[in-house]
Amino acid sequence: MEELGKVYQLIIPVFGYNMTLNLDAILMTWLVIMVLIIFGFFAARKKSVLPGPIQIMGELVVSQIYNLVEDAMDKERAEKYGPLICALFMFLLLSNWIGMFPHLHEPTKDLNTPLSLGIMGFCIAHYAGIKSKGFKKYAAEYFEPIFLMMPLNVIGELAKIVSISFRLFGNIMGGSIIILVVSYLTYSVILPPFLNAFFGIFVGAIQAFVFTMLTLVYISVQIK
Amino acid sequence: MGYDIQTWVNVAAYMGGALAMGFGAMGAAIGEGYTAAEANAAISRSPRATGEIFKSMLVGQAVAESASIFALVVAMILLFMNFSAQSYLTVATVFAAGLCMGLGAIGSGIGSGFPAGAACTGMSRQPGMSNRLTTNMLIGSAVCQTPSIFALVTSFILLFTNFSDRPISPTWAALLGAGLASGLGAIGSGLGGGLVAQASCEGVSRQPESVTPVTNIMLLGQAVTQTTAIYGLLVSFILMFKSFEATDALSPCAALIGAGLCMGIGAIGPGIGEGFTAQSAVAGIARNRSAISELTRLMLVGQAVAESTGIYSLVISLILIFVV
Repeated sequence: MEELGKVYQLIIPVFGYNMTLNLDAILMTWLVIMVLIIFGFFAARKKSVLPGPIQIMGELVVSQIYNLVEDAMDKERAEKYGPLICALFMFLLLSNWIGMFPHLHEPTKDLNTPLSLGIMGFCIAHYAGIKSKGFKKYAAEYFEPIFLMMPLNVIGELAKIVSISFRLFGNIMGGSIIILVVSYLTYSVILPPFLNAFFGIFVGAIQAFVFTMLTLVYISVQIK
Repeated sequence: MGYDIQTWVNVAAYMGGALAMGFGAMGAAIGEGYTAAEANAAISRSPRATGEIFKSMLVGQAVAESASIFALVVAMILLFMNFSAQSYLTVATVFAAGLCMGLGAIGSGIGSGFPAGAACTGMSRQPGMSNRLTTNMLIGSAVCQTPSIFALVTSFILLFTNFSDRPISPTWAALLGAGLASGLGAIGSGLGGGLVAQASCEGVSRQPESVTPVTNIMLLGQAVTQTTAIYGLLVSFILMFKSFEATDALSPCAALIGAGLCMGIGAIGPGIGEGFTAQSAVAGIARNRSAISELTRLMLVGQAVAESTGIYSLVISLILIFVV
């Protein structure tokens, strides 16, 4: 059971502070990025009217997500934010699924990955809000309904980062802890494949979708 | 107090196991009963679909049962694993783990019953849609189980992490508070998530062609409904992994237990309330698909307002942990 909560760390001292790098998460993130780049390369290499299997997969993902984005905002903005949302979904999906392979770990199991993606979505949403409404109107929203609510409104906005990132982190890490503990208790007989199918494929796909949808909705709420 | 540590650990493990299974049995039974009642009503409406309805009732009840199976697993671990007693902290961890899983199973058990019942009713209305309805019900009830999975994670961390190098005095309170925050916090969100999934199953049976938007908005609404359970998980993580300074005074201990209680109880109301909001938003989208963007926006704004009380609880419990 020593694996529970074990993290491979590289600690670099910088000016009296310790810079800690979680090697597992970083390597796995790079792996996911590389697989996605290779997938993208092969999906777009020979574009034809009669698509090959990889092109079909790419078109399926991209067109489904573009439809979602167009539902949430107008067509012009959808073209701007669509690629971001699409890349986010594909990255999260592959990140959540990669833990099913032996010796590989989900990068989303490390809180730093969901947290940084959450902060990224938060910054983009507020940038989009300021850009479309102007700073004055954007700032005035924090003083609704009365002036005194300002600190709580700010905390409420910041709590969105906590909730979006902890939702992904809690589900993925929870799944991996449950798989680890149950495999240990049952000596890895019978149960682990089913648990991997549920927590890896099913919960992983749903949480990737939920994270993407929430980022999209945060952006579209700020715009209008 | 003439007993040794091992006796106290055993006492706490048995008590924790009993509480885990006792509380954990409550929710799932209510949910399953609701499902069966709806299935009976559905069969009386269209006796020809009996086979489909019966199958869907059993599948739905099996999913609703999973929360109490988690509780059973934790209770079994507590009863049959020999916890080596290193310090009095083990007493706190085993008791908190049992309490956390027991309380955490209540909401999801009741909640998962709602979509299963709605799926049975839906099949009596539209027997041709039974596959779509079953898929939708399974997705909805699986997401509904998330709060109880958070409670399970917290109790596994409590059971299998070695806390023995921490100072006993404030840490026992922190661990107990961690169990309470995750356990109580899961009740409301589990119940609320079930309401949302119920509306989506009803919607699919009314308007089979709007299955995609209904499922999407259901997932979104359930995700936002779980926010307060996530705050509970956050507070328990802080309580479990922050190292507190050793102290003999009683007041820091009270503050730490209070932090857990505050976040746990404070999360119940917002979870249910946000569930109501998302429930009628999903029902609205099933009726009138063209209003999807207005309904989604209104749902999110309404949920944000309903959630503000949960944020007050989060602020107070963080103050209790870090300031007081």
